[in-house]
Amino acid sequence: MTDASAGLTTSRPARLRRIAQPMRTDSGARPAWPAIAFLFVFFVLPVGALMLRSVTDPHWGLQNFSDLLATGTYARVLFNTFLVAATVTLVSLIIGYPLAWLIVMLPQRWQQLLLAILLMSMWTSLLARTYAWLVLLQRTGIINRGLMALGVIDQPLALVNNLTGVVIGMTYIMLPFVILPLRATLSSIDPSLMHAGAICGASSFRLFRSVLLPLSLPGIGAAGLMVFVMSLGYYITPALLGGTANMMLAELIAQTVQSFLNWGLGAAAALILLCATLVLYAVHMRYLDEDAR
Amino acid sequence: MILTRSKLGLFRYVLYGHALLVTAFLLLPIVFIALLSLGSSRWLAFPPPAWTFKWYEELASDPRWMESLWLSLRLALCVTILSVLLGGAAAFALARGKFRGRRLLKAFFVSPMIAPVVIVAIALYSFSLKMGLNGTFIGFVAGHLIVAVPFSVICIVNSLRSFDLALEQAAAICGAGRLQTLRRVTIPCIAPGVMAAAIFSFLASWDEVVISIFMASPQLQTLPVRMWTSLRMDLTPVIAAVSTLLVLASMLLMVVLGLVFVRRSPKQ
Repeated sequence: MTDASAGLTTSRPARLRRIAQPMRTDSGARPAWPAIAFLFVFFVLPVGALMLRSVTDPHWGLQNFSDLLATGTYARVLFNTFLVAATVTLVSLIIGYPLAWLIVMLPQRWQQLLLAILLMSMWTSLLARTYAWLVLLQRTGIINRGLMALGVIDQPLALVNNLTGVVIGMTYIMLPFVILPLRATLSSIDPSLMHAGAICGASSFRLFRSVLLPLSLPGIGAAGLMVFVMSLGYYITPALLGGTANMMLAELIAQTVQSFLNWGLGAAAALILLCATLVLYAVHMRYLDEDAR
Repeated sequence: MILTRSKLGLFRYVLYGHALLVTAFLLLPIVFIALLSLGSSRWLAFPPPAWTFKWYEELASDPRWMESLWLSLRLALCVTILSVLLGGAAAFALARGKFRGRRLLKAFFVSPMIAPVVIVAIALYSFSLKMGLNGTFIGFVAGHLIVAVPFSVICIVNSLRSFDLALEQAAAICGAGRLQTLRRVTIPCIAPGVMAAAIFSFLASWDEVVISIFMASPQLQTLPVRMWTSLRMDLTPVIAAVSTLLVLASMLLMVVLGLVFVRRSPKQ
């Protein structure tokens, strides 16, 4: 009896080690290899090859870039793209910030309702939403007829097939991407800072300007930059709601390759878009990403 | 205090009014499509002269739409399974592995989300023209998988991070083998994350337009490609009918996801 229990106590650590050994918590990098291999073959390699074509197609040199930057039409496409992306970012922030602020203050049940509506609009098929705007914004659509019935306008406004249509449709798509992160930022602000300000006699407006707004600036910057980057490369909505006269960069790339089979020029435009995206994303990671700090 | 409504005075009514307008803006297209799909006017007159189900009948009787629906469904299921397997394994390495360059690897897995889709689409188009993958099912799966894998990696990494390793050690001490621990402890614990990964992957494939437009052939068109091509020709109300069904489907998925997390939350 004494022998047996003594034997058990001495052998226990050895037994535990033997059983626990197969459960190494460190898996190494091995499980990631299939995904790495897949993304390398179907993502890195093709994108790399495309970028290369900007300087090799039709022959070595930078002629594609000089074509792209020298021609007035392409320069206007670049200008349009940045203009639309900036407008969409600004409008979504102005519309989104007050709503995110209100969501933080509302009781749980109302918060959930508003978040559900946001998610629903986000998860609705992109083409379905764009189709709806295409019909809503027509010359004879209900928005124009509603405004005319109210006496706001006497002639139907040109709301679609131009940059106005693109901005409306894109703002609709980007709003959730502004509101959700802003809500996270605003809800993490310590309310006692506001208390302190109020005790010191600051007015509501002063509190907003000197406490709430500065504290939410990183969130505004992060959300704004993300929306700007997403808008720069957007293809579907500008292609459907925009006019042929006001193309955006993504459309230009697709059209150059698909209709004109000019791979070199398309690749050069793609390289410009990719570089702009990567630079802005690096800024985001460096200064605004909360995980990274 | 301007983080409580009562302290805002009359300004809170401005916020309420603003919220009401934005909510209306968000809901307008969704409600409008549903009403449009039930209207009888081919020219999309609104309010419609009469209500009808004929666009749904036209949709159901058109074999091309049905083929596209079937293709999209098969594709999304394949992509979901592969995305959870590839992304799940990669997430294990990211959450559990101790090796150099882990942050870099995570950035690499997320990079397809950052690159503009149109660039991925064109690059893949040029690549698959060379490899003979254009217009094939495998080409579609590969294209959609690029978009889906980042979602899986993020969802499963997050749920593995919140998972207590002591549970696995406890299972091992109780004599469970490696596979048994994985099957009966680890996977059930991270199930909500895996479920979210699956739903996001499914949606990423189901709603993918840009890569699909370039990958499609006249014979092989996913539902979004079919919508895109008919949208460019005319604004037939059949698209409204398809859109309404898609809205209902994504609402259903949202309810499923909501239930998964609501059931989970009291435990946390």
